[in-house]
Amino acid sequence: MKTVIKTTNLSKVYKDSVVPVHALKNVNLEFSQGEFTAIVGPSGSGKTTFLNIIGGLDKPTDGHVIIDGVDIATMKESQLFDFRLRHIGFVFQAYNLIPVLTALENVSFIMLLQKQSKQEMEKRARAMLEQVGLGDKINERPGRLSGGQQQRVAVARALASKPDFVLADEPTANLDTESAFNLLDIMARLNKEENITLIFSTHDQRVIERARRVITLVDGAVDKDEYFERA
Amino acid sequence: MKLIIIIAWRNIWRNRRRSIIMITAITVGLWGGLFAASFSHGLLEQRFETSIEQHISHMQIHHPDFIRDQAIEHQIHDWAEIYDMLSADGEIKAFSGRTILSGMLSSANLTRGVRIMGINPELEAQTTGISNHLVSGTYFAEEIANQILVGKKLAEKTKLQERSRLVLTFQDQDGELVSAAFRVAGIYQTANSVFDESHIFVLQSDLQSILDEQIIINEIALLAKDAEAIPQIRDTYQELFPANTFRTWNEIATELSYLIEMARVMITIILIIILLALGFGLVNTMLMSVFERTRELGMLLSVGMNKTRVFLMILFETAFLSLLGTLGGILLSVGFIYLTSKRGIDLASVGGDSMEAFGFSTVVYPSLSINLYFTLIILVIITAILTTIYPALKATRLSPAEAVRDQ
Repeated sequence: MKTVIKTTNLSKVYKDSVVPVHALKNVNLEFSQGEFTAIVGPSGSGKTTFLNIIGGLDKPTDGHVIIDGVDIATMKESQLFDFRLRHIGFVFQAYNLIPVLTALENVSFIMLLQKQSKQEMEKRARAMLEQVGLGDKINERPGRLSGGQQQRVAVARALASKPDFVLADEPTANLDTESAFNLLDIMARLNKEENITLIFSTHDQRVIERARRVITLVDGAVDKDEYFERA
Repeated sequence: MKLIIIIAWRNIWRNRRRSIIMITAITVGLWGGLFAASFSHGLLEQRFETSIEQHISHMQIHHPDFIRDQAIEHQIHDWAEIYDMLSADGEIKAFSGRTILSGMLSSANLTRGVRIMGINPELEAQTTGISNHLVSGTYFAEEIANQILVGKKLAEKTKLQERSRLVLTFQDQDGELVSAAFRVAGIYQTANSVFDESHIFVLQSDLQSILDEQIIINEIALLAKDAEAIPQIRDTYQELFPANTFRTWNEIATELSYLIEMARVMITIILIIILLALGFGLVNTMLMSVFERTRELGMLLSVGMNKTRVFLMILFETAFLSLLGTLGGILLSVGFIYLTSKRGIDLASVGGDSMEAFGFSTVVYPSLSINLYFTLIILVIITAILTTIYPALKATRLSPAEAVRDQ
């Protein structure tokens, strides 16, 4: 299977505090096309730092992040903006939709920034909202949607532009159990149907078992990397 | 770009109350500024127009020494040639030559010092329109000798009425005192009560027979058809008649040109203060709005909306707020200035009488040149752009990874 992301000797040290914090230590991981991976570990174990670095939002102190054969650790900031726009989908803990845009416009947003054709874009956005079960809410603004519904819009937004992979940092942290399971089911289904690589971080035991691969980080280093057969 | 504009437009209505307060502040600020500007502009324009029309005219000609010492012997000797030239000149609208004497006016009750203006009634009427400013009586009737026009203020102080008799005393060219009896033909009133109190009009021909002299002309005032052409007309005539001094209105009434210049500076200062206040208000509003949206801006930066687009979004938001406020301010001002310019603002009840002493009318008709509106719009746009820089830079300098997790 094609490798989408490869990290070699990835390290991150935060030097702004009195004692330097080693958030990541020599992380070597590979993610293949279509994988559905959970990054787990206690708080401070480096989950978010890892996602930020492979998402091009933060730079490693050392090591490489190879995406599609390109080392993004050496990219300039302006190049990273474009790289993120074209290759990576993001889902955030606090949904982070644009409150002044409707669900449909929110899902179309990334495609609009990518300057896709209007017709294709709208068709795709509608289809994605159908996929996440919000076909009847396309003209609602986020303020009128529940937390679970907002996060489903966010997932639809992240996947609509067909990125190489989607990063979700604690996507269920603000959701109740039912919404959390529902969201993970949708993510798992889309991962299969769209064959998009999905990586999410969580410390939520409820949703870990939805993932087919679980990587456990402890103190910035990979502790366990396990594969599971899921239905 | 369209997307950014749509988001920016909708964003300003997220905090409806704050936006409306900001827009109202801009509207009211500009209205205040524009109204102050239109008021002083109107006041000075009237002062300028009445001064030019009723007193100074566009240009005056004197013997060079007359300006320093207004004695009868400092006269324009070649006035006849100048008259001929002026009559034939297509650029000249009207002119009037005057005999000017300092003298005493004695009525039955009081004696006062006055400036006696010996005029040709026809020429004077065309130049200063004094014939239109009579509040009682008649302009000079041809067949009667020794008529006099006195100002309303002087008439009040000396208890003179129409047909009252009075005696004028003045020096002739040899320094001898000459007295003559006159009868009030009419009482005039201009916008400048100081002028009214000190100037009286008599016929040049009457003075001529009293003084037993040729016609004496100490001053020629003239109006041009186009006020802009005045400096050039002055230069032409000065060259042709070097024995006399030709002065334009702003050289004569230096205090008037000074006032106009000062008013222009004041208006500019007022507008700058308003724009500064507006600018700080906008910076404050936009900073608040940026800080409130840290997480959202972090998301935008994360998903690949580059800094230029984020900057433009904030710029459009500021621009929408300030342009709406400006539009409101201008519409309100135009309406208000239009209304007051028709009716005028009467200052008599708030002590405006004293204004008359300085030659200002008590009723002010605000007016504003269209140029100022355009200048203002451009200044507001510049202010908006300048005030955007700080909040927008704050927004673009956010670290997407941190901003997105902001609590």
